[in-house]
Amino acid sequence: MSDLALSPRKPAAPLNGYRIVQSISVFVIALVVISPLFMLFIASLKDDRFQILADMGSFRAFWVDNPTLNNFREVGNFAGELAFGRYLGNSLLILFSTVSLGLIINSMAGFILAWGSLPGRALILSLIIALYVIPQESIIMPLLIIVSRAGLSDTFTAQILPFVASPLYTFLFYQFFAQLPKELYEAASIDGASIFRTWWSIFMPLSLPALATVSILMGIEAWNQYLWPILITQTDYARPISVAIATFFGQDSIFWDRAMAASVLMMIPILVFYLAFQRWFISSFVGSAVKG
Amino acid sequence: MGNRLLSVFAATTALMALTAAADAKTVVRMMHQGDPGWVALYGKVAERFEAANPDVDIELIYAPHDAYNEKFSSAVMSKQLPDIMELDAPFLANYVWSGYLKPLKSYVDKDLLDDMTASNIAQGTYPIDKELYAIGLTDSSVVLYGNKKYLEKIGARIPKSVDDAWTRAEFEDYLGKLAKVDGVKWPIDTFRGYGIKTEWVTYAYQPILNSFGCDLIDRKTWKAEGALDSKPCVDALTMMQTWVKNGWVVPMSSGTNQFYADGQPAALAWGGHWFYAEAAAKMKDDVVVMPLPKFGDKSASPDGTWIWAITTQSEHPDIAGKFLSFLLKDKDYRDYAVSQSAYPGLKSFAAQSPLYAEGGPMAVAFEQASKVAVPRPPHPAYPTITSAFMQAVDQIFNGEDTQKALTAAAQKIDEDIADNDGYPPFDGN
Repeated sequence: MSDLALSPRKPAAPLNGYRIVQSISVFVIALVVISPLFMLFIASLKDDRFQILADMGSFRAFWVDNPTLNNFREVGNFAGELAFGRYLGNSLLILFSTVSLGLIINSMAGFILAWGSLPGRALILSLIIALYVIPQESIIMPLLIIVSRAGLSDTFTAQILPFVASPLYTFLFYQFFAQLPKELYEAASIDGASIFRTWWSIFMPLSLPALATVSILMGIEAWNQYLWPILITQTDYARPISVAIATFFGQDSIFWDRAMAASVLMMIPILVFYLAFQRWFISSFVGSAVKG
Repeated sequence: MGNRLLSVFAATTALMALTAAADAKTVVRMMHQGDPGWVALYGKVAERFEAANPDVDIELIYAPHDAYNEKFSSAVMSKQLPDIMELDAPFLANYVWSGYLKPLKSYVDKDLLDDMTASNIAQGTYPIDKELYAIGLTDSSVVLYGNKKYLEKIGARIPKSVDDAWTRAEFEDYLGKLAKVDGVKWPIDTFRGYGIKTEWVTYAYQPILNSFGCDLIDRKTWKAEGALDSKPCVDALTMMQTWVKNGWVVPMSSGTNQFYADGQPAALAWGGHWFYAEAAAKMKDDVVVMPLPKFGDKSASPDGTWIWAITTQSEHPDIAGKFLSFLLKDKDYRDYAVSQSAYPGLKSFAAQSPLYAEGGPMAVAFEQASKVAVPRPPHPAYPTITSAFMQAVDQIFNGEDTQKALTAAAQKIDEDIADNDGYPPFDGN
């Protein structure tokens, strides 16, 4: 039985002015968020790329007279270097590798910063926080030279390794671990657990909200990578789906129909990923809010 | 025993080395952009070339159009420039000056060189040594598209050739009249929707400056002050600012589809040759193609598109040139270009393009190329020139004082040139 099932249901609050404004606000915000996605989906069902453009900016963008799956079929017959599914596979490989490694590395770092006996912990933590303010774009060229000289151009490794360790996620884990009771760490120490065992067997199972938050944020980041894969890859061998979709935006012509269908396909895995983790993700945010 | 083993090992190693040498192919890498049709086509042409030249492996490097410059910069920084690269013509001078490109006359088939239109030669030539560094199958232009129904309503004269293009007085008179026609929300779309991060503003609006008798930069002294901030240029952009203030121009936020969108709210379109395909697909015979108006004593139109060059990092420029020649003559390549309304840059290709042939709906666009095309300034400072100009135009359209914005742009350009010691030998030293 879920916690929700055990919770007594709150009686509906009486409808007053505040509630009406609140409901309208929620509805408007939801509309703003959902309407571009809905428009994208509708456009993916239109067969005429010029009609998609002609309809943009009017309510016709939200309506399709003769829906068709032709665009999805065209995407399936994608005439790039690789089959479209392969780009999708590349993206999934990059996503899961980055997130899995990222969870381990960042949580380990966060744990040591929170509970380890590392000399100069406070300074290291300050440096990590300071690193967070440096935008990724500003280090992209030096990173490119380092990765190229390491002989990693055109590989999956080049798209995974540089993004595994992150100051933001290390800090998130640090913050989460630091809030857990000191007694947990002390009890594990008394029982003779090594620091690795304490991290893995005691703290990690208690960190589902933090793990979910980092997974989702890191997953979205890895999934949406665009410029870096273009710069670091030469051939299509390891390129993700975002680069494949860019093919539909040519110099003189934009294939909106196929771009829309491909974008819908690109959204599905990340939506599934989000839905899988969203329960803990939300509880993490709620928890953060309560703890202030 | 030890010696025998050593001999066997040596023989095996030598055999493996020989086998590897026999299998080793010459790899020629080509960096390009383009939509899925072009991508597939380059793949097929490469396959055909490899079949005819089994010792060559053509490796294609695709870079999306909107991230092409970043990809190029990263290739330069990581010393991974390909053998062949596609480049946007106005950036050629910068690339040659930086030492990235090789002259290609000795590598490409002579019949192709002889087949180039004057505009195609101009877009691929470096002004200092007058050498040809790039070649293309295609070129480009901008024309004035009109909605036949609206033009008939106001009784507008339809020019048939560059020589009888609308004058400024006629053009502005028609804009005013079109503004009052039922159904017309904006008399003209100048494609502000392309934004200021593409080449559009410089590419499409420079001819207006040229027609007014001025330029982005003085092409003899290579100074922008005295050219871009001169009275004719200020007048030209003040005129455009007035159109915007009058509400005659489709705003940036309304996209690039207002000429043929539902209700056809824009009556005219100052559009690239590629726009014909989408406009004609939606409006059929209601699209009228006209030359760009003549604002001063002469007409002007833009040119230049994505063309092919061989880089200085190529270890096999002869094979790269052979592949380029093969590509430019490939029938499927040309057929696909025709299907995409591509603007001819080779005379033989023009003959294959009914759209641009005499009597064709876009014939006037091709006529512009031979009569009034003005390339963008072939100078290494071009990246700064275009960015400063685009920023100035954006400010002017948003109400900034024209003289002030153009003076600032001219100063920015001249500062860049001064910072680079005049980009010798462009400084005349």
